[in-house]
Amino acid sequence: MICFSHTSGRYLQALATIFLVSAVSGCASFKEVKSFASLSSNAASHGALTKDYIGALDRRKQYQPEKFHAGLDAQKVRREAQRASLDLLQQSVTDYMQGLNSLATGDVRPYDRSLKDLSSDLNKATLLTHDEKEAVGALSIILARAVTTVYRLHEIRKLIHDGNQPLQDVISATRKIVMKGMIADLQIESALVGRYYDNFMLAPDNPVEPVAMALAKEARTEALGRVNSRIQSARSYDVVLEKIAQGHQYLYDNRDMVGNKEFDRQLKPYVDGLRGAYRNLLGGSP
Amino acid sequence: MDKLTSDDAFELGNQFRDTAIALGDWRISNLSCLSKAQWDELDEREVMLLNIASSIYTAAVGMVLQDSQAALTRLQSSVESAKLAIKHIATLKQALDLASALVLLAGTVYSGNAAAIPGAIVALEDAAEAIATPGEPSE
Repeated sequence: MICFSHTSGRYLQALATIFLVSAVSGCASFKEVKSFASLSSNAASHGALTKDYIGALDRRKQYQPEKFHAGLDAQKVRREAQRASLDLLQQSVTDYMQGLNSLATGDVRPYDRSLKDLSSDLNKATLLTHDEKEAVGALSIILARAVTTVYRLHEIRKLIHDGNQPLQDVISATRKIVMKGMIADLQIESALVGRYYDNFMLAPDNPVEPVAMALAKEARTEALGRVNSRIQSARSYDVVLEKIAQGHQYLYDNRDMVGNKEFDRQLKPYVDGLRGAYRNLLGGSP
Repeated sequence: MDKLTSDDAFELGNQFRDTAIALGDWRISNLSCLSKAQWDELDEREVMLLNIASSIYTAAVGMVLQDSQAALTRLQSSVESAKLAIKHIATLKQALDLASALVLLAGTVYSGNAAAIPGAIVALEDAAEAIATPGEPSE
């Protein structure tokens, strides 16, 4: 063994770098970031809503005189043309959250497989004893994982920093479409359904048939109930989007603390809120 | 005149919808005064108004989609960055370089090859710095 005197400064500096990297990564916790991103990626896309928005025009034909059907068909064509853009809005949030989830998950398994090659290199290092080879190999794997974690932490913070504003804008646009467009449009459907059955039951000169009236009343309640459950589902989706936006804003505001265990605890209520909203959406979907 | 915004269009749609609903309520509360022909005529007007409101909502949704194009492009760019970062993690050659540099250093230290040690330390430092320093990772 030699004396370290000539090189001890640089050697210690290198070791300090290694231990610093290991220490930082040793504390990193992405558990709740991972949960938030995973839940968000599942909850952000609600394809049924777009399908329902386009399908509404066909549904409404039964409640309107035939002379209006051509207009409904023309409007359906306009909505069909919006389908790809509507899907893309939702899909972009899903893609973004999948990216965040993958970074937070950081699959190191393939990386460990690559490190197995190291053992053959170590075996060729004939100047090392068996124990020394074991120790160097173990340390190398720990170190390699540590730098990966530091890199992930940096990339997660960068992604949250760069992604927050466009994400908030995209979610805001989607919420506006859902609340002001789709739900308002479903309220029109509700008016059309009510009007259709009211005509049947109340129009002048209609014969009063008690059985037919009772059936019409029942059918009116059922049809309005179906529209109402569509409205509820759209509202639940809006709440999910609101929770995703709030959670990500919290991530952005505290991005320097990402990886910290205390931050993980603080993020948990946002994750729980999103989970509850998503369950509500799944439970209430028509 | 200022350009119609999506909010203006949504509000306009609401006004058409609410007017149609108010007409319907009036029709029902006055049904005893209306003939069948008058009832039907009013009913058709209501349907027409409701369909117009629906068309306005469709147009307003189109406006929001158009307005959100810039944000969508920026978000997609962030997604691409994330994918790139993930790719780097999956193939993180630098980490292996670092591990190899460590093996080299350990080998030189234990072999007593003093001349090789500075080079091994530099290799280790370079590898550690390339990974730990924020910036463009190389594959």
